[in-house]
Amino acid sequence: MLSIRNLSVTVEGKKILDGLNLEVGAGEVHAIMGPNGSGKSTLAHVLAGRPGYTITSGSVHYLGRDLLVLPPEERARLGLFLGFQYPVEIPGVNNVYLLKAAVNALRRQQGLPEVDAFEFLALVREKMQLMHMEDSFLSRGVNEGFSGGEKKRNEILQMLVLEPRLAVLDETDSGLDIDALKVVAAGINSQRAPDRSCLLVTHYQRLLEYVVPDHVHVLVRGHIARSGDRTLALELERRGYDFIAGEAA
Amino acid sequence: MSALTDRIVEDFATGARALPGSGIADTRRRSAIKALEAQGLPGSRDENWKYANLRALERMRFVPAPAPQILPSLAHLPEALPGISRYVFVDGHFAPAVSATLAAGAARATRLSQPAEAAPAETVPVDAVPAEGITRADQRFALLNEAFATDGLRIDVAATSGAPLQLEVLFVASAPAQSGASYPRLEVHLEPGAQLTLIERHSSATAQASFVTSAVQVELARGAQLEHYRLQELDNRSTFFDTLSGELAEDAAYRLHGISTGGQSARSTLSLRLAGERADLSLALAALGDRQQVQDAYAVVEHAAPNARTVQTFRGIAAGRARVAFNGKIIVAPGARGTDSHQSLRGLLAGPEAEIDVRPQLEIYTDEVRCNHGATAGKLDDDMLFYLLSRGLDRDSAQRLLKWAFLEDVISQVTLRPLRRQIEERLAVHLRDETLRELL
Repeated sequence: MLSIRNLSVTVEGKKILDGLNLEVGAGEVHAIMGPNGSGKSTLAHVLAGRPGYTITSGSVHYLGRDLLVLPPEERARLGLFLGFQYPVEIPGVNNVYLLKAAVNALRRQQGLPEVDAFEFLALVREKMQLMHMEDSFLSRGVNEGFSGGEKKRNEILQMLVLEPRLAVLDETDSGLDIDALKVVAAGINSQRAPDRSCLLVTHYQRLLEYVVPDHVHVLVRGHIARSGDRTLALELERRGYDFIAGEAA
Repeated sequence: MSALTDRIVEDFATGARALPGSGIADTRRRSAIKALEAQGLPGSRDENWKYANLRALERMRFVPAPAPQILPSLAHLPEALPGISRYVFVDGHFAPAVSATLAAGAARATRLSQPAEAAPAETVPVDAVPAEGITRADQRFALLNEAFATDGLRIDVAATSGAPLQLEVLFVASAPAQSGASYPRLEVHLEPGAQLTLIERHSSATAQASFVTSAVQVELARGAQLEHYRLQELDNRSTFFDTLSGELAEDAAYRLHGISTGGQSARSTLSLRLAGERADLSLALAALGDRQQVQDAYAVVEHAAPNARTVQTFRGIAAGRARVAFNGKIIVAPGARGTDSHQSLRGLLAGPEAEIDVRPQLEIYTDEVRCNHGATAGKLDDDMLFYLLSRGLDRDSAQRLLKWAFLEDVISQVTLRPLRRQIEERLAVHLRDETLRELL
């Protein structure tokens, strides 16, 4: 599904990712953990194609294609989804409108006709229920006036509607209370499937109690310092990041 | 006297005989032309005029265009709004065949060219009570209109118990500038407690470079309420100069919406005076410029009485090599304590060669006021753009969507649903146009 080889990235001349390697197979959930500033969010952004990052070496292949040459919108249409850590508010752009435009962009890519407005609304409503979102959300501006938790739920809602092949969720758990965390986790779990993968970028182990990953990686100073199964996350929780940082040094 | 003024005076001398004698009295026309002769039209060095495209005037003829031989068909006019009376003027001449006039009632619409007995006894000159801070210079295009106007509409509304009256006045330009100018003219008078929804639209019947100089005067008596939509949708080769003056008595409420998308060079000068206590003014203006369009507006609001309120919203988008300017001035006179004013002015630069100028100005001569303002000019937000791209929208659609959203604060105030749909369609065409050209 996703193959990252020796990826190095700088931002304004500063090295953030440094020879990162990662393989994500179809149907797998990987957690990327690491201390602040280790490059977790940079990895998520680079995968989604955010401008402002310079790739100095390495390659990223997604579904057999060179991901790094594609503009962000094409990555999205190939089923790569970024759940933002800080989703931006876009007053004046209606939530439903955005969802529909996004779905239709996907469908055009697949040679399908535009989605039927009626069926689409029914689908969105169904997913909203799963995310415990109120109906009024539909007519509001994208993330406009949303609380932190509402924004995160909105990200997951978009993911549920768009049904990506690879979801990269950047600290989707941060700032959530325990109830919202469970709702978000249920949303993520609901779309685990043999042909769909997920990259969970997180600082804490908490989310992983509800979304059990197949693999856990620890990112330190721009590369993966250690990989393991879910017990690695528990160990991190117990011992903190320092012990790995110490090993990696 | 400049060559331009010479030509105006000359055109008046040759064209004046053809002008109707009633409506605007001959003496008023002559005093208007005299004032113009003395002052000339504003130049780009005049304060408040530096962004207007005054050079366009050099090519213009000032004589009024003759009454059109063939009226534009309804199909070439903006679609009429259901259930709303409409007065259509083509090149300044009333066109009854395509109009749907008011039945007798609490409102009376009188053509300015009609015989004196049907016209109101005394119409107040447009430049009678300029707001403080609007100089005589800012009223000179109204003088031009007063000298040359062939016709126009005076609307008088009395208070009624029913739903507010709705009325559209459509000024159509069909003559090319070489064959003459048109001078739309509108005088609106609301009696105490009267209500009116007025749509004032300026559009072109054909793809012509027309020259249009309009003048509008609004008087709201105590407690009167006016919802006024002004749409400037002229062909994008046209030249448009517009002057609106208004006065609000106590407890009067004026909601003025302006959407300016047309014209090659368009300039609006708005002068509003809050003369009575608790008068309430909302100005919501949007201007879109593309290619080499110039969209310039100057709005001055004078708070002359206590506890009045102004909310001013401007959203301008400049693409291509367009220039979009808005200068919004609020003056709080001595004694206007309790003034509450809010200005939110924003410009969006949508092209590397485009120009945006937004300028809020406040002059306060009293204490105990609450006046705040914000002005920004910038490009589309990169974070918003990336967010939309990351959802699979192509770059053009994403940019268009964000421009759309940028206008939301103005468009959302259009409460007349069918009109809002027309405005949205017009904006969509304007925004899409640009995308098309980028691809060419």
